[in-house]
Amino acid sequence: MDDNAREARERRRRSIAIALVLAALVVLFFVMTMVRLKGHVVNFFQ
Amino acid sequence: MTTASATFVSGARAASVGDYFALLKPRVMSLVLFTALAGMLVAPVHVDLLTGFTALLCIAVGAGAAGALNMAYDSDIDPLMARTATRPIPMGRIARGDALGFGWTLATGAVALMGLFVNPLGAFLLAFSIGFYVFVYTLWLKRRTPQNIVVGGLAGALPPAIGWASATGSLGFVPLLLVLIIFLWTPPHFWALSLYRSQDYARAGVPMLPVVRGKRATRRQIMLYTLVLVPLGFAPAFIGLGGPLYAAMALAFGGWFAVEAFSVLREKDEVHEPAAHRLFGVSIFYLFVLFAALIAERLMELPPLTALHFGGWA
Repeated sequence: MDDNAREARERRRRSIAIALVLAALVVLFFVMTMVRLKGHVVNFFQ
Repeated sequence: MTTASATFVSGARAASVGDYFALLKPRVMSLVLFTALAGMLVAPVHVDLLTGFTALLCIAVGAGAAGALNMAYDSDIDPLMARTATRPIPMGRIARGDALGFGWTLATGAVALMGLFVNPLGAFLLAFSIGFYVFVYTLWLKRRTPQNIVVGGLAGALPPAIGWASATGSLGFVPLLLVLIIFLWTPPHFWALSLYRSQDYARAGVPMLPVVRGKRATRRQIMLYTLVLVPLGFAPAFIGLGGPLYAAMALAFGGWFAVEAFSVLREKDEVHEPAAHRLFGVSIFYLFVLFAALIAERLMELPPLTALHFGGWA
C-alpha cells in the first residue's frame, strides 16, 4: 500500500473516531440535561 | 495537518487512532482512574451512577490530556531516551503542534464537563492537577532540580481527592491522607526507574537524583521514603477507613516494598540494577493493591477495622 492510500485510510479512521466521540458527547449532554431537568421538576412540584 | 505533516520524519507512517491513544499515556491513566475511583467510593456520600461515570470520564480524559501535553513539551528530549524514543512524536507520527492542540482541547473539555455536570471543586482540582503537571513539573522543575518528581508528584497524587470531591463537593482529612500516600510513593517509584535509566536521563540532561547526586544517595533516599511510606500505608486502617482486608494487604505488600527497597540499598550490580527493576514493579503493584482493597471493601460493604468512623474525620 502506498503512502497516500495509507494516509487516506488513517485519516478516515481518525474521522470515524472523532465522529464517535462527538456522538457519545451528544448522548452524555442529553442524558445529563434530562436527569438534571427531571430533578428540578420533581423538586418544583414537591 | 498540512503544515504539521511536513515535520514528519522521512518514511514515517501517518498517525493512527492508536497513536493518539498512546499520547494519553494509557497505563498512567489507568492508575489515575483507579485511585480516583477509590476516592469516590470511600466518600461518605452516595454518588449516582451517571455523575460518577461522568466524573471518572473527565478525570481519565484530563489525565490523558496532561500526558499528551507532557509528551508535546518534552518532544526535544524524548528522542534521546530509549524509554521515550518510541513515543508517537519522536517517531514522527504525530507533529508536536498537533499533540499540543489535542492535549489542550481535551484538558479544556474535561475541566468544562466536570464543572458543568459534576461540581466546581472537582473541576478546580482537575484543572489544578493538569496545570501542576504541565507547568510546574514538565515545564519548570523537570529540567532544573533532582526534586522534580518529589514536588511534581503532587499532580499524580491528587486523583483520590478529585474522586472524593466529585462525590461530596468538599475535601477532608481522608482524601488528603490518600493523596499523601501516593505523594510519598512517587519518589521511591520513580527513583527506582531512574537508577536503571540513569544514562538515558544524563544523555537528555534531565537532573534526576542518580545523575546529580549519584546512585548511593538515591538508594538512601529510596529507603528513607519507603520507611515513611510503609507505616503511612497502614494509617487508613487506624482511622476507620480501611478494614481487615486493607490492613492485611498493607502489611503484606508494605513488607514486600520495604524488603525490595532494602535490596536496592544493598545492590552491588550497578550495571543491570536488578533490585531497582523489582522495586519499580512492586511499587506499582503495592499502590494498586492498597486501592483495590479499599474499593473491594466498599463494594463488599465490609466494616472498617476500628470503631472510629471515618465520617468524623472528613
